[in-house]
Amino acid sequence: MSTKHQNWGWMLAVDFFFAGMGGGMLVIAAVVELFGGGTRMSLLGNLLGPASMCIGCGFLILELGKPLRAWRVFMNPKAILTFGAWMMSFAIASGFVYAAMAVPLNLIFWREWAMLGKCLAVVNLVTGLVVATYPGILLGRLKGRPMWVGPGMMALFMLSSLATGGALHYLCAQLMPVLGTLLAPMLIPGSALFFLSGVLVPVPDAVIWRVLPGGIATLLLLQLLLWSGYLWVKQSGATAAEAASAQRWINGNLSLAFRCFMILGTIAPLVLMLLPMQAAAALGAVLVLLGGVTMRLLTVRSGEDRTFLPGEQKYRLRLPTGNEEFLHKNWL
Amino acid sequence: MTRYAMVMDTRRCIGCQSCTVACKIHNELPIDIVYNPVTTIGPTGTFPDLTLSFLPLICMHCGNPPCVDVCPTTASVQREDGIVHVVDSKCVGCLSCIMACPYGARQHNHETGTVSKCDFCKDRLEQGKLPHCVATCHQKARIFGDLHDPESEVSKLIKNNRTVQLLGELNTDPSVFYIY
Repeated sequence: MSTKHQNWGWMLAVDFFFAGMGGGMLVIAAVVELFGGGTRMSLLGNLLGPASMCIGCGFLILELGKPLRAWRVFMNPKAILTFGAWMMSFAIASGFVYAAMAVPLNLIFWREWAMLGKCLAVVNLVTGLVVATYPGILLGRLKGRPMWVGPGMMALFMLSSLATGGALHYLCAQLMPVLGTLLAPMLIPGSALFFLSGVLVPVPDAVIWRVLPGGIATLLLLQLLLWSGYLWVKQSGATAAEAASAQRWINGNLSLAFRCFMILGTIAPLVLMLLPMQAAAALGAVLVLLGGVTMRLLTVRSGEDRTFLPGEQKYRLRLPTGNEEFLHKNWL
Repeated sequence: MTRYAMVMDTRRCIGCQSCTVACKIHNELPIDIVYNPVTTIGPTGTFPDLTLSFLPLICMHCGNPPCVDVCPTTASVQREDGIVHVVDSKCVGCLSCIMACPYGARQHNHETGTVSKCDFCKDRLEQGKLPHCVATCHQKARIFGDLHDPESEVSKLIKNNRTVQLLGELNTDPSVFYIY
Protein backbone atom coordinates (compact mmCIF):
# COMPACT_ATOMS: atom_id res chain seq x y z
CA MET A 1 0.00 0.00 0.00
CA SER A 2 2.19 2.84 -1.21
CA THR A 3 -0.55 5.44 -1.54
CA LYS A 4 -2.93 6.80 1.04
CA HIS A 5 -5.98 4.63 1.68
CA GLN A 6 -8.88 5.71 3.81
CA ASN A 7 -10.98 2.72 2.75
CA TRP A 8 -10.42 -0.93 2.04
CA GLY A 9 -9.46 -1.70 -1.55
CA TRP A 10 -10.28 -4.33 -4.16
CA MET A 11 -7.85 -6.86 -2.70
CA LEU A 12 -9.94 -7.19 0.44
CA ALA A 13 -13.01 -7.78 -1.72
CA VAL A 14 -11.15 -10.54 -3.56
CA ASP A 15 -10.07 -11.98 -0.19
CA PHE A 16 -13.71 -12.01 0.92
CA PHE A 17 -14.64 -13.77 -2.34
CA PHE A 18 -12.04 -16.54 -2.18
CA ALA A 19 -12.31 -17.06 1.57
CA GLY A 20 -16.12 -17.10 1.46
CA MET A 21 -16.20 -19.43 -1.52
CA GLY A 22 -13.72 -21.77 0.18
CA GLY A 23 -15.80 -21.74 3.35
CA GLY A 24 -18.92 -22.49 1.34
CA MET A 25 -17.18 -25.40 -0.39
CA LEU A 26 -16.17 -26.85 2.96
CA VAL A 27 -19.74 -26.58 4.26
CA ILE A 28 -21.22 -28.28 1.19
CA ALA A 29 -18.63 -31.06 1.24
CA ALA A 30 -19.27 -31.58 4.96
CA VAL A 31 -23.05 -31.76 4.52
CA VAL A 32 -22.64 -34.32 1.72
CA GLU A 33 -20.18 -36.33 3.83
CA LEU A 34 -22.48 -36.36 6.87
CA PHE A 35 -25.87 -36.74 5.20
CA GLY A 36 -25.07 -37.92 1.68
CA GLY A 37 -25.24 -41.64 2.39
CA GLY A 38 -21.64 -42.47 1.52
CA THR A 39 -21.35 -39.90 -1.25
CA ARG A 40 -18.43 -37.48 -1.41
CA MET A 41 -17.85 -34.34 -3.43
CA SER A 42 -15.13 -34.40 -6.07
CA LEU A 43 -11.56 -34.47 -4.82
CA LEU A 44 -10.71 -31.50 -7.00
CA GLY A 45 -13.51 -29.50 -5.38
CA ASN A 46 -12.49 -30.63 -1.90
CA LEU A 47 -8.92 -29.52 -2.55
CA LEU A 48 -9.95 -26.21 -4.10
CA GLY A 49 -11.97 -25.27 -0.99
CA PRO A 50 -9.03 -24.80 1.40
CA ALA A 51 -6.85 -23.69 -1.54
CA SER A 52 -9.31 -20.82 -2.20
CA MET A 53 -8.99 -19.75 1.41
CA CYS A 54 -5.19 -19.74 1.05
CA ILE A 55 -5.53 -17.48 -2.00
CA GLY A 56 -7.85 -15.23 0.01
CA CYS A 57 -5.26 -15.03 2.80
CA GLY A 58 -2.66 -14.02 0.23
CA PHE A 59 -4.79 -11.10 -0.96
CA LEU A 60 -5.50 -10.09 2.64
CA ILE A 61 -1.78 -9.96 3.42
CA LEU A 62 -1.09 -7.91 0.28
CA GLU A 63 -3.79 -5.44 1.36
CA LEU A 64 -1.98 -4.75 4.64
CA GLY A 65 0.21 -1.68 5.00
CA LYS A 66 2.84 -3.84 6.74
CA PRO A 67 2.60 -7.33 5.17
CA LEU A 68 5.63 -8.66 7.07
CA ARG A 69 3.81 -8.09 10.36
CA ALA A 70 0.77 -10.10 9.18
CA TRP A 71 1.23 -12.68 11.96
CA ARG A 72 0.11 -10.03 14.43
CA VAL A 73 -3.51 -10.34 13.27
CA PHE A 74 -3.77 -13.41 15.53
CA MET A 75 -3.08 -11.36 18.67
CA ASN A 76 -6.38 -9.80 19.84
CA PRO A 77 -9.02 -12.38 20.83
CA LYS A 78 -11.63 -9.60 21.09
CA ALA A 79 -11.30 -8.61 17.43
CA ILE A 80 -13.55 -10.15 14.78
CA LEU A 81 -10.65 -10.11 12.33
CA THR A 82 -8.53 -12.17 14.73
CA PHE A 83 -11.39 -14.62 15.25
CA GLY A 84 -11.78 -14.90 11.48
CA ALA A 85 -8.03 -15.44 10.98
CA TRP A 86 -7.95 -18.29 13.51
CA MET A 87 -11.09 -19.89 12.09
CA MET A 88 -9.71 -19.67 8.57
CA SER A 89 -6.47 -21.30 9.71
CA PHE A 90 -8.37 -24.19 11.30
CA ALA A 91 -10.60 -24.50 8.23
CA ILE A 92 -7.63 -24.61 5.84
CA ALA A 93 -5.82 -27.27 7.88
CA SER A 94 -8.93 -29.36 8.43
CA GLY A 95 -10.03 -28.93 4.81
CA PHE A 96 -6.75 -30.20 3.39
CA VAL A 97 -6.60 -33.17 5.78
CA TYR A 98 -10.16 -34.11 4.81
CA ALA A 99 -9.56 -33.66 1.06
CA ALA A 100 -6.38 -35.74 1.23
CA MET A 101 -8.43 -38.74 2.36
CA ALA A 102 -9.44 -39.27 -1.27
CA VAL A 103 -5.91 -39.05 -2.68
CA PRO A 104 -4.76 -42.56 -3.75
CA LEU A 105 -1.38 -42.52 -2.05
CA ASN A 106 -0.07 -44.74 0.77
CA LEU A 107 1.48 -41.63 2.27
CA ILE A 108 -2.01 -40.57 3.31
CA PHE A 109 -2.17 -43.11 6.16
CA TRP A 110 -5.52 -41.83 7.44
CA ARG A 111 -7.30 -42.61 4.16
CA GLU A 112 -9.24 -45.57 5.53
CA TRP A 113 -10.26 -43.96 8.83
CA ALA A 114 -13.95 -43.43 8.09
CA MET A 115 -14.68 -42.01 11.54
CA LEU A 116 -11.99 -39.36 11.07
CA GLY A 117 -13.73 -38.32 7.85
CA LYS A 118 -16.96 -37.75 9.77
CA CYS A 119 -15.17 -35.83 12.55
CA LEU A 120 -13.35 -33.62 10.04
CA ALA A 121 -16.65 -33.01 8.26
CA VAL A 122 -18.12 -31.65 11.51
CA VAL A 123 -15.08 -29.39 12.00
CA ASN A 124 -15.31 -28.25 8.37
CA LEU A 125 -19.02 -27.56 8.72
CA VAL A 126 -18.50 -25.26 11.70
CA THR A 127 -15.31 -23.51 10.59
CA GLY A 128 -16.48 -23.27 6.97
CA LEU A 129 -19.74 -21.66 8.04
CA VAL A 130 -17.87 -19.14 10.18
CA VAL A 131 -15.44 -18.30 7.35
CA ALA A 132 -18.34 -17.96 4.91
CA THR A 133 -20.20 -15.61 7.23
CA TYR A 134 -17.57 -13.64 9.12
CA PRO A 135 -16.95 -10.88 6.51
CA GLY A 136 -20.62 -9.97 6.95
CA ILE A 137 -20.23 -9.95 10.74
CA LEU A 138 -17.08 -7.83 10.41
CA LEU A 139 -18.82 -5.25 8.21
CA GLY A 140 -22.14 -5.33 10.04
CA ARG A 141 -20.54 -4.22 13.31
CA LEU A 142 -19.04 -1.02 11.87
CA LYS A 143 -21.39 1.64 13.20
CA GLY A 144 -19.96 4.44 11.11
CA ARG A 145 -20.60 2.77 7.75
CA PRO A 146 -24.31 3.18 6.96
CA MET A 147 -24.45 0.67 4.11
CA TRP A 148 -22.93 -2.12 6.17
CA VAL A 149 -24.21 -1.68 9.69
CA GLY A 150 -26.72 -4.27 10.87
CA PRO A 151 -27.20 -8.03 10.66
CA GLY A 152 -28.24 -8.05 6.98
CA MET A 153 -24.68 -8.21 5.67
CA MET A 154 -24.10 -11.44 7.59
CA ALA A 155 -26.95 -13.21 5.79
CA LEU A 156 -25.98 -11.76 2.40
CA PHE A 157 -22.38 -12.94 2.71
CA MET A 158 -23.40 -16.37 3.95
CA LEU A 159 -25.81 -16.87 1.04
CA SER A 160 -23.30 -15.69 -1.54
CA SER A 161 -20.50 -17.81 -0.05
CA LEU A 162 -22.63 -20.94 -0.15
CA ALA A 163 -23.82 -20.19 -3.70
CA THR A 164 -20.30 -19.53 -5.02
CA GLY A 165 -18.96 -22.57 -3.12
CA GLY A 166 -21.68 -24.72 -4.66
CA ALA A 167 -20.98 -23.28 -8.10
CA LEU A 168 -17.27 -24.13 -7.94
CA HIS A 169 -18.04 -27.63 -6.63
CA TYR A 170 -20.37 -28.10 -9.60
CA LEU A 171 -17.74 -26.91 -12.06
CA CYS A 172 -15.17 -29.25 -10.50
CA ALA A 173 -17.60 -32.14 -10.79
CA GLN A 174 -18.17 -31.20 -14.45
CA LEU A 175 -14.47 -30.96 -15.27
CA MET A 176 -13.21 -34.09 -13.55
CA PRO A 177 -14.77 -36.93 -15.50
CA VAL A 178 -14.13 -35.19 -18.81
CA LEU A 179 -10.44 -34.69 -18.13
CA GLY A 180 -10.17 -38.11 -16.54
CA THR A 181 -11.60 -39.74 -19.63
CA LEU A 182 -9.31 -37.85 -21.93
CA LEU A 183 -6.25 -38.72 -19.90
CA ALA A 184 -7.16 -42.33 -19.21
CA PRO A 185 -5.28 -43.92 -22.16
CA MET A 186 -2.12 -42.06 -21.20
CA LEU A 187 -2.02 -43.27 -17.61
CA ILE A 188 0.96 -45.32 -16.50
CA PRO A 189 0.99 -46.61 -12.90
CA GLY A 190 3.55 -44.74 -10.79
CA SER A 191 3.76 -41.70 -13.05
CA ALA A 192 2.84 -38.16 -12.07
CA LEU A 193 -0.05 -38.35 -14.51
CA PHE A 194 -1.31 -41.44 -12.74
CA PHE A 195 -1.36 -39.48 -9.49
CA LEU A 196 -3.15 -36.67 -11.31
CA SER A 197 -5.76 -39.14 -12.51
CA GLY A 198 -6.49 -39.84 -8.86
CA VAL A 199 -7.37 -36.21 -8.50
CA LEU A 200 -9.43 -36.15 -11.66
CA VAL A 201 -11.17 -39.46 -11.98
CA PRO A 202 -13.43 -39.85 -8.90
CA VAL A 203 -16.91 -38.86 -9.99
CA PRO A 204 -19.42 -37.62 -7.44
CA ASP A 205 -22.66 -39.47 -7.00
CA ALA A 206 -25.31 -38.75 -9.60
CA VAL A 207 -27.55 -37.33 -6.89
CA ILE A 208 -25.10 -34.42 -6.56
CA TRP A 209 -25.63 -33.58 -10.23
CA ARG A 210 -29.33 -33.16 -9.64
CA VAL A 211 -29.37 -31.80 -6.09
CA LEU A 212 -26.55 -29.27 -6.33
CA PRO A 213 -28.02 -27.09 -9.14
CA GLY A 214 -31.36 -27.05 -7.33
CA GLY A 215 -29.65 -26.03 -4.10
CA ILE A 216 -27.69 -23.26 -5.83
CA ALA A 217 -30.88 -22.02 -7.49
CA THR A 218 -32.59 -21.84 -4.09
CA LEU A 219 -29.67 -19.87 -2.65
CA LEU A 220 -29.79 -17.50 -5.63
CA LEU A 221 -33.51 -16.95 -5.17
CA LEU A 222 -32.93 -16.13 -1.50
CA GLN A 223 -30.08 -13.83 -2.51
CA LEU A 224 -32.33 -12.00 -4.96
CA LEU A 225 -35.04 -11.52 -2.35
CA LEU A 226 -32.65 -10.58 0.44
CA TRP A 227 -30.74 -7.99 -1.59
CA SER A 228 -34.01 -6.40 -2.73
CA GLY A 229 -35.25 -6.30 0.85
CA TYR A 230 -31.92 -5.07 2.19
CA LEU A 231 -31.81 -2.09 -0.17
CA TRP A 232 -35.46 -1.30 0.51
CA VAL A 233 -34.84 -1.31 4.27
CA LYS A 234 -31.71 0.82 3.90
CA GLN A 235 -33.42 3.28 1.57
CA SER A 236 -36.29 3.79 3.95
CA GLY A 237 -33.90 3.31 6.86
CA ALA A 238 -33.32 4.91 10.20
CA THR A 239 -30.85 7.55 9.08
CA ALA A 240 -30.38 9.85 6.11
CA ALA A 241 -26.86 8.43 5.65
CA GLU A 242 -28.28 4.93 5.15
CA ALA A 243 -30.82 6.20 2.63
CA ALA A 244 -28.17 8.15 0.71
CA SER A 245 -25.87 5.13 0.68
CA ALA A 246 -28.60 2.83 -0.63
CA GLN A 247 -29.49 5.41 -3.28
CA ARG A 248 -26.02 4.99 -4.78
CA TRP A 249 -26.85 1.32 -5.41
CA ILE A 250 -30.33 1.96 -6.76
CA ASN A 251 -29.71 4.82 -9.17
CA GLY A 252 -26.32 6.26 -8.30
CA ASN A 253 -22.79 5.50 -9.43
CA LEU A 254 -22.94 1.87 -8.25
CA SER A 255 -26.28 1.08 -9.87
CA LEU A 256 -24.93 -0.23 -13.20
CA ALA A 257 -22.62 -2.74 -11.53
CA PHE A 258 -25.37 -3.69 -9.08
CA ARG A 259 -27.84 -4.34 -11.91
CA CYS A 260 -25.23 -6.49 -13.65
CA PHE A 261 -24.80 -8.45 -10.42
CA MET A 262 -28.53 -8.91 -9.99
CA ILE A 263 -29.33 -9.78 -13.62
CA LEU A 264 -26.21 -11.62 -14.80
CA GLY A 265 -24.94 -12.83 -11.43
CA THR A 266 -28.23 -13.86 -9.82
CA ILE A 267 -31.31 -14.06 -12.08
CA ALA A 268 -29.62 -15.52 -15.19
CA PRO A 269 -27.80 -18.31 -13.31
CA LEU A 270 -30.97 -19.00 -11.33
CA VAL A 271 -32.76 -19.75 -14.60
CA LEU A 272 -29.81 -21.66 -16.05
CA MET A 273 -29.52 -23.85 -12.96
CA LEU A 274 -33.12 -24.94 -13.35
CA LEU A 275 -32.64 -26.06 -16.96
CA PRO A 276 -32.13 -29.84 -17.31
CA MET A 277 -28.81 -29.42 -19.14
CA GLN A 278 -25.37 -29.78 -17.57
CA ALA A 279 -23.86 -27.20 -19.94
CA ALA A 280 -26.47 -24.62 -18.97
CA ALA A 281 -25.86 -25.27 -15.28
CA ALA A 282 -22.10 -24.98 -15.83
CA LEU A 283 -22.57 -21.62 -17.53
CA GLY A 284 -24.79 -20.62 -14.62
CA ALA A 285 -22.06 -21.63 -12.17
CA VAL A 286 -19.53 -19.40 -13.96
CA LEU A 287 -21.99 -16.50 -13.77
CA VAL A 288 -22.51 -17.14 -10.06
CA LEU A 289 -18.76 -16.84 -9.49
CA LEU A 290 -18.57 -13.58 -11.48
CA GLY A 291 -21.59 -12.29 -9.57
CA GLY A 292 -19.95 -13.17 -6.26
CA VAL A 293 -16.84 -11.13 -7.09
CA THR A 294 -18.94 -8.20 -8.30
CA MET A 295 -21.07 -8.20 -5.17
CA ARG A 296 -18.04 -8.10 -2.90
CA LEU A 297 -16.33 -5.36 -4.90
CA LEU A 298 -19.50 -3.28 -4.71
CA THR A 299 -19.97 -3.94 -1.02
CA VAL A 300 -16.41 -3.05 -0.09
CA ARG A 301 -16.57 0.08 -2.25
CA SER A 302 -19.72 1.25 -0.50
CA GLY A 303 -17.57 1.56 2.63
CA GLU A 304 -16.64 4.99 1.23
CA ASP A 305 -19.94 6.17 2.67
CA ARG A 306 -19.45 7.20 6.26
CA THR A 307 -21.35 9.17 8.87
CA PHE A 308 -19.71 12.42 7.78
CA LEU A 309 -19.77 15.33 10.20
CA PRO A 310 -21.01 18.78 9.12
CA GLY A 311 -18.69 20.33 6.54
CA GLU A 312 -16.26 17.39 6.67
CA GLN A 313 -16.67 16.10 3.13
CA LYS A 314 -16.08 19.55 1.66
CA TYR A 315 -13.01 19.99 3.86
CA ARG A 316 -11.50 16.62 2.96
CA LEU A 317 -12.05 17.18 -0.76
CA ARG A 318 -9.91 20.30 -0.55
CA LEU A 319 -6.98 18.60 1.17
CA PRO A 320 -3.81 18.15 -0.85
CA THR A 321 -3.05 14.63 -2.01
CA GLY A 322 0.70 14.99 -2.33
CA ASN A 323 0.54 14.68 -6.13
CA GLU A 324 0.09 18.41 -6.80
CA GLU A 325 2.21 19.68 -9.64
CA PHE A 326 3.72 22.55 -7.68
CA LEU A 327 5.12 20.13 -5.10
CA HIS A 328 7.30 18.53 -7.75
CA LYS A 329 8.56 21.80 -9.18
CA ASN A 330 12.24 22.50 -8.77
CA TRP A 331 12.16 25.78 -6.90
CA LEU A 332 15.90 26.34 -6.72
CA MET B 1 -9.05 8.41 38.06
CA THR B 2 -8.28 11.10 35.50
CA ARG B 3 -10.23 11.17 32.26
CA TYR B 4 -8.90 13.72 29.83
CA ALA B 5 -11.48 15.65 27.85
CA MET B 6 -11.68 18.65 25.57
CA VAL B 7 -14.34 21.29 25.23
CA MET B 8 -14.76 23.10 21.91
CA ASP B 9 -16.43 26.46 22.29
CA THR B 10 -17.87 26.93 18.80
CA ARG B 11 -19.02 30.43 19.78
CA ARG B 12 -15.36 31.44 19.98
CA CYS B 13 -13.88 29.54 17.03
CA ILE B 14 -13.15 31.80 14.06
CA GLY B 15 -11.91 29.06 11.73
CA CYS B 16 -8.34 30.33 11.52
CA GLN B 17 -6.91 26.77 11.35
CA SER B 18 -4.08 27.68 13.77
CA CYS B 19 -4.76 24.48 15.69
CA THR B 20 -4.62 22.46 12.47
CA VAL B 21 -1.23 23.91 11.54
CA ALA B 22 0.17 23.58 15.07
CA CYS B 23 -0.80 19.91 15.15
CA LYS B 24 0.71 19.20 11.74
CA ILE B 25 4.00 20.79 12.74
CA HIS B 26 4.19 19.20 16.19
CA ASN B 27 3.44 15.71 14.85
CA GLU B 28 5.42 16.22 11.62
CA LEU B 29 2.50 14.95 9.55
CA PRO B 30 2.67 14.26 5.80
CA ILE B 31 0.98 16.83 3.58
CA ASP B 32 -2.24 14.83 3.12
CA ILE B 33 -2.87 14.04 6.80
CA VAL B 34 -4.76 16.32 9.16
CA TYR B 35 -5.64 15.23 12.69
CA ASN B 36 -7.81 18.18 13.63
CA PRO B 37 -9.58 19.84 10.73
CA VAL B 38 -11.79 22.86 11.28
CA THR B 39 -14.77 22.59 8.96
CA THR B 40 -16.94 25.42 7.79
CA ILE B 41 -20.71 25.26 8.11
CA GLY B 42 -22.57 27.71 5.97
CA PRO B 43 -23.12 30.45 5.16
CA THR B 44 -26.77 29.62 5.77
CA GLY B 45 -29.88 31.78 5.69
CA THR B 46 -30.71 34.71 3.43
CA PHE B 47 -29.26 38.18 3.43
CA PRO B 48 -29.08 39.99 5.80
CA ASP B 49 -29.67 37.09 8.22
CA LEU B 50 -26.66 34.99 7.33
CA THR B 51 -24.76 32.72 9.69
CA LEU B 52 -21.38 31.07 9.33
CA SER B 53 -19.92 28.73 11.90
CA PHE B 54 -16.88 26.52 12.34
CA LEU B 55 -16.58 23.03 13.72
CA PRO B 56 -13.16 21.99 15.09
CA LEU B 57 -12.84 18.23 14.74
CA ILE B 58 -10.42 15.87 16.43
CA CYS B 59 -10.29 12.30 17.70
CA MET B 60 -13.09 12.04 20.23
CA HIS B 61 -11.08 9.70 22.52
CA CYS B 62 -14.31 7.83 23.11
CA GLY B 63 -15.03 6.20 26.43
CA ASN B 64 -16.36 3.28 24.41
CA PRO B 65 -14.03 3.41 21.40
CA PRO B 66 -15.15 1.26 18.45
CA CYS B 67 -11.63 1.43 17.00
CA VAL B 68 -9.90 -0.42 19.85
CA ASP B 69 -11.76 -3.73 19.92
CA VAL B 70 -11.62 -4.16 16.14
CA CYS B 71 -7.82 -3.94 16.07
CA PRO B 72 -6.57 -7.50 15.49
CA THR B 73 -3.04 -6.70 16.66
CA THR B 74 -3.73 -4.79 19.91
CA ALA B 75 -1.99 -1.78 18.36
CA SER B 76 -4.99 0.41 19.22
CA VAL B 77 -4.92 1.11 22.92
CA GLN B 78 -7.12 2.99 25.37
CA ARG B 79 -5.16 4.23 28.38
CA GLU B 80 -6.62 4.50 31.86
CA ASP B 81 -6.78 8.29 31.49
CA GLY B 82 -9.00 7.85 28.41
CA ILE B 83 -6.43 8.63 25.73
CA VAL B 84 -6.80 6.37 22.69
CA HIS B 85 -3.62 5.96 20.69
CA VAL B 86 -1.84 3.65 18.24
CA VAL B 87 1.33 1.69 19.04
CA ASP B 88 3.07 2.07 15.70
CA SER B 89 5.34 -0.96 16.11
CA LYS B 90 2.31 -3.26 16.43
CA CYS B 91 0.15 -1.79 13.64
CA VAL B 92 -0.11 -3.83 10.42
CA GLY B 93 -2.11 -1.19 8.52
CA CYS B 94 -5.22 -3.34 8.06
CA LEU B 95 -7.42 -0.21 8.26
CA SER B 96 -9.98 -1.94 10.50
CA CYS B 97 -9.84 0.94 12.96
CA ILE B 98 -10.25 3.52 10.20
CA MET B 99 -13.36 1.72 9.00
CA ALA B 100 -14.68 1.42 12.56
CA CYS B 101 -14.22 5.07 13.52
CA PRO B 102 -17.41 7.02 12.74
CA TYR B 103 -15.58 10.35 13.13
CA GLY B 104 -12.92 9.89 10.44
CA ALA B 105 -10.29 10.61 13.08
CA ARG B 106 -7.80 7.98 11.98
CA GLN B 107 -5.52 8.35 9.00
CA HIS B 108 -3.52 5.88 6.97
CA ASN B 109 0.04 7.12 6.76
CA HIS B 110 1.35 6.01 3.39
CA GLU B 111 4.91 6.81 4.44
CA THR B 112 4.92 4.31 7.32
CA GLY B 113 2.18 1.93 6.10
CA THR B 114 0.49 2.21 9.49
CA VAL B 115 -2.43 4.12 10.95
CA SER B 116 -1.94 7.26 12.99
CA LYS B 117 -4.18 9.62 14.94
CA CYS B 118 -4.39 12.37 17.54
CA ASP B 119 -3.18 11.25 20.98
CA PHE B 120 -3.99 14.49 22.84
CA CYS B 121 -0.21 15.19 22.62
CA LYS B 122 0.49 12.65 25.37
CA ASP B 123 4.19 13.46 25.17
CA ARG B 124 3.42 17.07 26.11
CA LEU B 125 1.00 16.02 28.85
CA GLU B 126 3.78 14.02 30.48
CA GLN B 127 5.78 17.26 30.62
CA GLY B 128 2.87 19.09 32.23
CA LYS B 129 2.02 20.98 29.04
CA LEU B 130 -1.28 21.30 27.19
CA PRO B 131 -1.91 19.70 23.79
CA HIS B 132 -0.42 21.81 21.02
CA CYS B 133 -3.79 22.71 19.49
CA VAL B 134 -5.07 23.97 22.86
CA ALA B 135 -1.95 25.99 23.60
CA THR B 136 -2.09 27.56 20.12
CA CYS B 137 -5.74 28.58 20.08
CA HIS B 138 -5.67 32.34 20.62
CA GLN B 139 -9.46 32.50 20.88
CA LYS B 140 -9.52 30.04 23.80
CA ALA B 141 -12.00 27.96 21.83
CA ARG B 142 -10.29 24.72 22.92
CA ILE B 143 -10.24 23.92 26.62
CA PHE B 144 -8.54 20.82 27.97
CA GLY B 145 -8.71 19.14 31.37
CA ASP B 146 -9.86 16.32 33.60
CA LEU B 147 -13.50 15.39 33.14
CA HIS B 148 -13.60 13.57 36.47
CA ASP B 149 -12.41 16.59 38.44
CA PRO B 150 -15.51 18.70 39.25
CA GLU B 151 -13.27 21.75 39.80
CA SER B 152 -11.62 21.55 36.37
CA GLU B 153 -12.46 24.14 33.74
CA VAL B 154 -13.86 21.53 31.36
CA SER B 155 -16.21 20.13 34.03
CA LYS B 156 -17.49 23.61 34.88
CA LEU B 157 -17.98 24.54 31.22
CA ILE B 158 -19.92 21.34 30.54
CA LYS B 159 -22.02 21.90 33.65
CA ASN B 160 -22.81 25.55 32.96
CA ASN B 161 -23.29 25.53 29.18
CA ARG B 162 -25.36 23.82 26.55
CA THR B 163 -23.06 21.12 25.18
CA VAL B 164 -23.33 18.24 22.74
CA GLN B 165 -21.23 15.17 21.94
CA LEU B 166 -21.01 14.37 18.22
CA LEU B 167 -22.84 11.23 17.06
CA GLY B 168 -23.75 10.46 20.65
CA GLU B 169 -26.47 8.14 19.36
CA LEU B 170 -23.75 5.64 18.42
CA ASN B 171 -23.02 5.07 22.12
CA THR B 172 -19.33 5.89 21.74
CA ASP B 173 -19.24 8.27 24.75
CA PRO B 174 -16.88 10.90 23.24
CA SER B 175 -14.52 12.87 25.48
CA VAL B 176 -14.92 15.94 23.28
CA PHE B 177 -17.82 18.28 24.06
CA TYR B 178 -19.09 21.12 21.93
CA ILE B 179 -20.56 24.32 23.34
CA TYR B 180 -22.94 25.87 20.81
